[in-house]
Amino acid sequence: MKYDQARWTDDGDERYEPLLSEKANREVEVEDSPLPDDLTRDSLELPDPAEPELARHYTRLSQMNYGVENGPFPLGSCTMKYNPSFTEDVSRRAEAAVHPDRPDSTVQGTLALCHRLQDYLGRIGGMDAVTLQPPAGAAGEFTGIQIAKAYHQHNDDERSEVVIPDSAHGTNFATAAMAGYDVVELPSGDDGRVDPEALEAAVGEETAALMLTNPNTLGLFERDIERIADVVHDAGGLLYYDGANLNALLGRARPGDMGFDVMHYNVHKTFATPHGGGGPGAGPVGVTDELAQFLPDPHVQSSKGGYEYYTPDHSIGKVHGFYGNWPVLLKTFAYVTRLGDAGLADASAKAVLNANYLAEQIPYEVPFGPFHHEFVASASPQDAADAAKRMLDHGVHPPTTKWPEIVDEALMTEPTEAESKRSLDQLAAAFSAVHDEDDETLASAPERTAAGRIDQVEAARNPRLSWQALDSET
Amino acid sequence: MSFDVPEDLRYLESHEWVRVDDGTARVGITDFAQDELGDVVFVELPDEGEELTAGDEFGVVESIKAVSDVYAPVSGTVTGVNEALFDDPELVNEDPFGEGWMVELELADEDELDALLSPDAYRDQIA
Amino acid sequence: MSERDVSPTGSPYAPHTPAETAAMLDAIGVDDVEALFDVPDAVAFDGDFGIDAHGERETRREAVRLLRRNDDLTEFLGRGHYDHYVPSVVDDLSKRSEFLTSYTQYQPEVAQGFLQALFEYQSMLVELTGLGVANCSMYDAATALGEAATLSQRVRSVSGDRILVPEHLRDGKRAVLENYADGPDLSVESYPMADGQADVDALAETADEDVAMVYAETPSVRGVVAERLADVGDVTDDHDALFCLGSDPVALSLLERPADVGADVVVGDAASLGIGTAYGFGLGMFVTREEYLRQVPGRLVGASDDADGRRAYTLTLQTREQHIRKERATSNICTNQAWVALRTAMHAAWLGPQGLVDLAEECVTRARDLAAELDDVVGLQAPVHDGHHFREFVAHTDQPARAVVEDLAARGYAVHAVDEHLIQVCTTEVTAAEEEAFVEAVAEVAA
Repeated sequence: MKYDQARWTDDGDERYEPLLSEKANREVEVEDSPLPDDLTRDSLELPDPAEPELARHYTRLSQMNYGVENGPFPLGSCTMKYNPSFTEDVSRRAEAAVHPDRPDSTVQGTLALCHRLQDYLGRIGGMDAVTLQPPAGAAGEFTGIQIAKAYHQHNDDERSEVVIPDSAHGTNFATAAMAGYDVVELPSGDDGRVDPEALEAAVGEETAALMLTNPNTLGLFERDIERIADVVHDAGGLLYYDGANLNALLGRARPGDMGFDVMHYNVHKTFATPHGGGGPGAGPVGVTDELAQFLPDPHVQSSKGGYEYYTPDHSIGKVHGFYGNWPVLLKTFAYVTRLGDAGLADASAKAVLNANYLAEQIPYEVPFGPFHHEFVASASPQDAADAAKRMLDHGVHPPTTKWPEIVDEALMTEPTEAESKRSLDQLAAAFSAVHDEDDETLASAPERTAAGRIDQVEAARNPRLSWQALDSET
Repeated sequence: MSFDVPEDLRYLESHEWVRVDDGTARVGITDFAQDELGDVVFVELPDEGEELTAGDEFGVVESIKAVSDVYAPVSGTVTGVNEALFDDPELVNEDPFGEGWMVELELADEDELDALLSPDAYRDQIA
Repeated sequence: MSERDVSPTGSPYAPHTPAETAAMLDAIGVDDVEALFDVPDAVAFDGDFGIDAHGERETRREAVRLLRRNDDLTEFLGRGHYDHYVPSVVDDLSKRSEFLTSYTQYQPEVAQGFLQALFEYQSMLVELTGLGVANCSMYDAATALGEAATLSQRVRSVSGDRILVPEHLRDGKRAVLENYADGPDLSVESYPMADGQADVDALAETADEDVAMVYAETPSVRGVVAERLADVGDVTDDHDALFCLGSDPVALSLLERPADVGADVVVGDAASLGIGTAYGFGLGMFVTREEYLRQVPGRLVGASDDADGRRAYTLTLQTREQHIRKERATSNICTNQAWVALRTAMHAAWLGPQGLVDLAEECVTRARDLAAELDDVVGLQAPVHDGHHFREFVAHTDQPARAVVEDLAARGYAVHAVDEHLIQVCTTEVTAAEEEAFVEAVAEVAA
């Protein structure tokens, strides 16, 4: 398979043209405004395309962008599965377009739907109560760790450390630090999993929580999860589940049953809400009964004949100015309702099947297993980043590269359930083709994309982050 | 791949070098360290007058994908800072032991030098 | 269709036929897909969720059935979440799957389109604020404010732990700020308002060397355009504190530039362009001075060149971020609101500079005129605060505010009860055609 991405440029002119249109920015004076002059700006200079120009500009930009509908997107850890079209329609219903300052009694539909989704997510994760407020996975982590902190403070048991395996997502470390905790990094065992003995040595009376991803970022199930839970709980700490890989386990295992006290769900991974070029997502947080009193304010509960907001007794307060990323939650509701038990379980089955099949078909070594929905191959002796760039020329999006660091020149690969056997065979062919190419070819890739290899060093040494910065150069 | 390890310097395990000349210690990172980091895009250094104790983090070197702290091999007061690195961080890659130097310290205790690695010991470490 | 596994036992979005599934299992060397799950029996889940599967049409119908329980009210509501008309072209273009289903631009060579759009978004914010660096999104105004407070700890040369915020501030915004302030042990304190805007004299009195950041808004949560922002800037300068200004892109199209009043950071909800009413779904704007570049939270798009020497865009300065710097990152943010930023930029471009200025002026005149009309209603005085208003204003009701709100809801209108006898009314071009009927309804309930 080969791929040529559209490459819209303006070759004849070195000057940057903001909207790829005939028109440049236009500056208008602000005068005779209804405000006194000393409260207004003097002028405003912004793009001023007519609607047809605007449409063409953004259509061209879209042609220089690769999404899930363009081809395979096996980006490990990110779960780039197909985003069902109809969920977009559901999220845009006029009935859903309500203002957050409405009294509860006038938004019973919104509350009913939120209540239903809280319930669904609770069942899927094996948790007793779920908040929908966190607007992303990392915001969910922050919520969960603030809940853990509130729990310890409530018990007059201030603790100072959060333990995190070295294979964890960077967000875990940053979240713990944001919440004011010291991070204790736990080295992975030889099998790529948490070593319970190392864990025992790392936890103690300062341990507020262990943050764990299961299956972990190598796709491996933490088989010792029961012992891990005991070690942490015996030390008085809580067990936090990073839901990044929950899509591997739907219907096979639930964090609540594994002993986790608090978790977040990445709806843009597990429940197929679109990634939107980086967001929005949503990061609902589930907790045990004991922790429900600390959930963010407000929380939805059923009341006489309807639903109402209330403030949990020892709420941590708020993590979003309003109620979170509502349209994303609507899409989540639509996806879960569409698939139901059987569909969710099958999504995990096919995701795991696809990862295992793809791993069999590619020529790169996969050092750890048995893995689930993703695997980490080693590109060594090739440079993983170069190999990835070359895959772009073969019409596929490459895996996540050089992470986790436990695998040399890592190619972290997650095909998702959305790829057919034929598509996986094409994907494997792209891996094989790149595997057989020489370093020089890889280093000069890509050549069939909208841009050639981009100079990252120049971008960082000489940061130009706006038109204005480009202008001031010339 | 072989890396330059000049004979007239002392080294830290964390890949800093120090050159002492008449009570002044000049400090930078090694050829090996710059190669590991890749293209350096940003260097953060302390202000003149700052007091450093051996082992203190005194600066940061960044490439595109990595961040590395830089440690003081010896104790002393910062008397010079290589401001050229702010505009041309690539000097760290191009000439790590020369124009890519980072700070100069007024050496507080010459005996501290004895605790540092010799060129041979450092060569063994990176071999 | 017949061969595809679309029975009630499957995901409609997994394309495998039974024959393909069998061939794949065979290639792997197992009989059953369950053999691929390495889950110990003790923690295996053998129950079910009790969630029924539905067809697409049934799912839509169920969602709509629930949502129809929302009352159909004409909303004169604002306080940080605003309804401006979003043109169809923004919806259509932003829904293109190449945008909507793409990922964060870690492979910039195949993501030039989104990167350029985000670069344009950043540039628009730079123009609107006069400050040098805009990131390409935080979650919402409240979390952006929280991030600004933590920024103050990283850039302020003297240590200080007091964050001063206006007495009149949306509760939710303050509550989020308190959570962000909790980790670094900052103390969030109020300073008084005078007639709906910052009481600068009282602010100056409470400010001291322990102040790390002062937050002010224009327009304020009560819709009042701040008139003494430069004085706030002087107070923060005097104490080496950050001046964080809250606003939004529509207001900034008309109001004095934040850079000109000494603001160091501008935060706010930029989804006032591009989204419309969406139950608080927003877009955190974060713009700051170039000197704080290395301390900015979130993603930044920069210009560079590709191998052919052409202009190209890429995420840059990523060493600030969690995936590289881990516990020393400037923030834990990863997933952001990039797609909302795309829509905001599209909407701003659709309006153009004159359209933006016109819209902002309409926000001033419409609030002024509606307040004047309501002031003529018996039992109601508006606006309560002197000064200029933007989109919204507070009115005094002789009747209890709650009763007025309920009586208006019964007549199909939503307004906000601020206090026992204060209501808040917000209007934009979207509610323009309803204003007259609204005033009549208020007249019926206010006396």
